[in-house]
This record gives sequence, C-alpha cells and structure tokens, in this order.
Amino acid sequence: MKSTPYNLVMSALYKGKKGERPPVANPTSIVCQDLMDAANVSFPHAHTDANAMAELALAGHEVIGFDSVMPEYSVHQEAAALGCEVDWGSRDRMPDSRNFPYENFSEIRIPGDLLEKPSMRVVLDALSIVRRHVGGKAAVIGKVMGPWTLAYHLAGTQNFLLQVGLGENEMINRMLRQLMPVTIAFAKAQFAAGADIVVLADHATGNLVGAYHYEELLLPIHKEMTAEIEGPLILHVCGNCSDRLELFADAGFDGYHFEWQVDSRTAVEKVGHRLALVGNINNSQVLFQGTPEDVRKQVRYAIEAGVDIIAPECAIPLTTPLENLKTIVQAAHEGY
Amino acid sequence: MIGIIEQIKDAVVSRKRKEIEGLVKVAIDEKVDLNAIINDGLIEAMDIVGKKFGSGEIYVPEMLVSAITMKEGLAIIKPLLQGDASQHKGTILMGTVKGDLHDIGKNLVIMMLEGAGFKVIDLGIDLSVEKVVEKVREIKPDVLGLSALLTTTMPAMQNVIDMIREQGLRESVKIMVGGAPLDSRFADKIGADGYGKDASEAVQLARKLIGVN
Repeated sequence: MKSTPYNLVMSALYKGKKGERPPVANPTSIVCQDLMDAANVSFPHAHTDANAMAELALAGHEVIGFDSVMPEYSVHQEAAALGCEVDWGSRDRMPDSRNFPYENFSEIRIPGDLLEKPSMRVVLDALSIVRRHVGGKAAVIGKVMGPWTLAYHLAGTQNFLLQVGLGENEMINRMLRQLMPVTIAFAKAQFAAGADIVVLADHATGNLVGAYHYEELLLPIHKEMTAEIEGPLILHVCGNCSDRLELFADAGFDGYHFEWQVDSRTAVEKVGHRLALVGNINNSQVLFQGTPEDVRKQVRYAIEAGVDIIAPECAIPLTTPLENLKTIVQAAHEGY
Repeated sequence: MIGIIEQIKDAVVSRKRKEIEGLVKVAIDEKVDLNAIINDGLIEAMDIVGKKFGSGEIYVPEMLVSAITMKEGLAIIKPLLQGDASQHKGTILMGTVKGDLHDIGKNLVIMMLEGAGFKVIDLGIDLSVEKVVEKVREIKPDVLGLSALLTTTMPAMQNVIDMIREQGLRESVKIMVGGAPLDSRFADKIGADGYGKDASEAVQLARKLIGVN
C-alpha cells in the first residue's frame, strides 16, 4: 500500500494494512485563529459560504498537514435548517443557537427541502469543492449531528435532560425518532456530495448522561441508523465514555472518536478489535495550554497504545497555537 | 416510623418530586424547626446527591430532578423564614462566559448554592466581559462564579478576570470557575481563587472562599 494520506486514513479506519506511519485526521474542527489567518478566510464567513468553508478546510491539510479534510466547523447546521435562530459567531466565537423551537416537545416539522436549506447546502457544496481538490489524495470527512444532539438544540439541553430524569421515555423516544431521518438524510447526502467518511456526533456525553441512558434510549436508534447509512461512520461522543465503549461498538459504527479522558490503552483493550479508534489528544491542557513537547508525548502515547487514527479529541479552542497542531502531525510522522 | 426530615431528605435523593410539597407541609404543621428542614433535610439531601453524581452513580438527568425537588421544597419554606434577606450566607454572582450558551452546569450550581443558603444572582449566559465587570462593580458580590462548558470558550474566562484586575476590582471579589473542560491548573493560570469540578464541590468552595459553613 502506498502511504498516501487518503490510503492511510481509510486503511486505518478498517484496521487494514499499516503504512509507514499512523494517519492524522480531524473528525471535528481544527480551525484556530492562526489557521484563519493562514488561509485568509475567517469565521463566520466560513460557516455560511461554501468556497470559504472549503478553503479553510483545505488549509488544515495543506498548512498543518492533516491527512483528512473536514469542512464543517459548527454543530448547528441542522439546527438552523430545523428552525433554530443560529448566531454564526465571529472570528473569536463559535456559533450557537438562540432559541429552542421545540421546548414543548411538539411534533417536529421537517422541511421538505431540508437539504436545500442554506446551512445544509453550504456543507454539501463545500464537500464537493474539497472533493474536486483533494479527492483520492486526502480523506474527505463530513459531519452530521445525531438525534440526541439535535434534541438538545431543539428542546434545550437542560429541558431535554430533565425529561430524561423524569422518566418521560415515550416523549424522548418520539422526539429522537422524529429527528433520526434528518441525520440519515444529511449523512447520505454528504457521501453523495463527496465525503469518504461521515462523523456522526451525538452528545450522550460521559459525565452528562450514564451508559444506562445511552443503552436504553439511544443505542436502538444508533443501530438503526448505522444499518441505514451505508458509508463509513465515525461516532463522536465527548466526555469520559470508558463505561460505554462496548455499546458504541454494538451500535455498529466503524470508528469512535474519543477524548483524552478515556485512556487510549483502555479503549484499545476494550473495543480496539471491533472498531477503529480515533483520537484523543487533549484540547484544554495540551493543545491549548501545553507545549509542543506535551503534544508530542500524548501523540506517542496514543500511537503506542494502538490508537488507529490520531486526532484532537474534539473541536479545538480558537486560540490554540498552530505550532501545537503541527506537532501532532510531526509526532505521527515519526512512524509507529 | 421514619422522621419527617428523613422523609424529606429521601424525597430529594430518590427524586420523589410529587411528594415533596406534602412532606414539607406536614413538617411545617408539625412545627419542625424550619432551618432544620432546610439544613438537615434539603441541603443534606443535595450533598448526598452531589456525592452520588461525583462517583458516577447518577448523572445530570437525575441530578436535575433532585435539584428541582429540593427547590420546590425550599420555595414553600422560604416565605416563612423571618428576616430572610439578612440571613443569607453571602452573595454570589454567577454567569456563563461569552460565547457559551450551555448553562446546565451553572444552573445546577445555582440551585445547590441557593439550597445551601447563599443569595445567588444569575447573570445568565453568553455574557460580555464588560457586562460581568459592570455587575461586579454594581452588586459587589462576595464571590463571582464563572462557567464554561466548551473548550472553545475557555479563553473568555481569562478576559473577564484580566479586566476585573485592570479595573481595580480584583481584591474585592473572590472568583471561582467551573465547567467540563476546566481543571485547577487552568484556574490557577487565569488567576481564579478556586475551581470546582462539580456542583457539590462548588458549594464547598463557596463556603471556603466566604468563610462560612
């Protein structure tokens, strides 16, 4: 196998042949202010304009040297299409929703032209542009929100979790099932637009909800979604999920993108034979506040533990130094 | 028969939200000391809930239900307390820093602090640095609590503390920080007085910073 960025990522995702070195990918945003400067493209423009979005994504590959290109930086594309008022932020602020249109858990109206809503179309167009530039050379990664995350956006996180606590399982299940087709449709459209892999982010986050909540309320839905979406899927769930790794593998995902809080040795031991592990360089202490040497140590630790694809654990802080991101790549280029 | 205070405690810990109103009313009718209902019933229950959360036995959904149960119990007792306003243990200003609309953690901390007898003023979410500083100047709280859930918004905390220092207000207020991506190292680095890893720790920290029990 040629050790090209694309080959390395795809082979690692399926735990195939190992190339000369482990691949470095970005299932979540690696945009920082330094990268915006280098690409001469800034937020919020890069959330709403397909060319700007694609250009900034390509800079992750061309400037930092990541083996993948992922052009979606916010978690609010679907929310905006479903009626949330999204503030697209600024150069120093990530986007966020301003309202919860389904606070009362009423029937969710999914627009007939969902994929043509501007916040959805922009991602699909950016994926196609990226594909034309680096298709077959770097892995093109798309990103969709799962129904649990969408429910946070539409009903409000606290409100949604309170209903979980009150045992309103029927209501929760109804909302998740109404949202599931949104995730499925967007993922399929992203593959059709040019994604090699789609990240499915669904924040049944460790420390926020328990493994028992995931198993009872979300696992059955994840199983249905992984069966329905044919292309390779990487699940992203934040927090310490050491207690639910096996459940993620049961759900049928091809990879799991995880945080530093999950020790990579534990992750490899528990589920390394069942799905690809992608992660888990710490954002707050290491990439944001640490030195290049701190970064290098974590990368080498993850590689030695057997993590398949090296990546920051989650979307990075916007003031992360570019040098620390470049160090991830350099440390992975040292090889296995 | 289990004492009424024990029953109140159990209602909060075991999330029997529908029972709390009746139990607190029974306690009031039985002339149980109101402060005992709060301290030995409601607050002690939330301390237990906080520990269960810390050990991973329960998660945010359960904690929210307990906190609401506690709050509903507290709401019945509060109007009956004499000289209520002067009796609080200190004033705490709470807010989520700019660019972070995630406020569950902050809301849980507020409910716990109120339960523990502090006067809490909630500044809300997505706060500008200027707004926080203005409120510190105006309200003169004993403690300012700042929350951030996302790593992407951690830098905003630093900006708030820097500006409070520049404005010469730093000596007059203690600052505590919290939120999923933080740790005590970060709290030290940005010049905060303390870090709480969860709502229960935040209450302990507030007690320590103000010097009350």
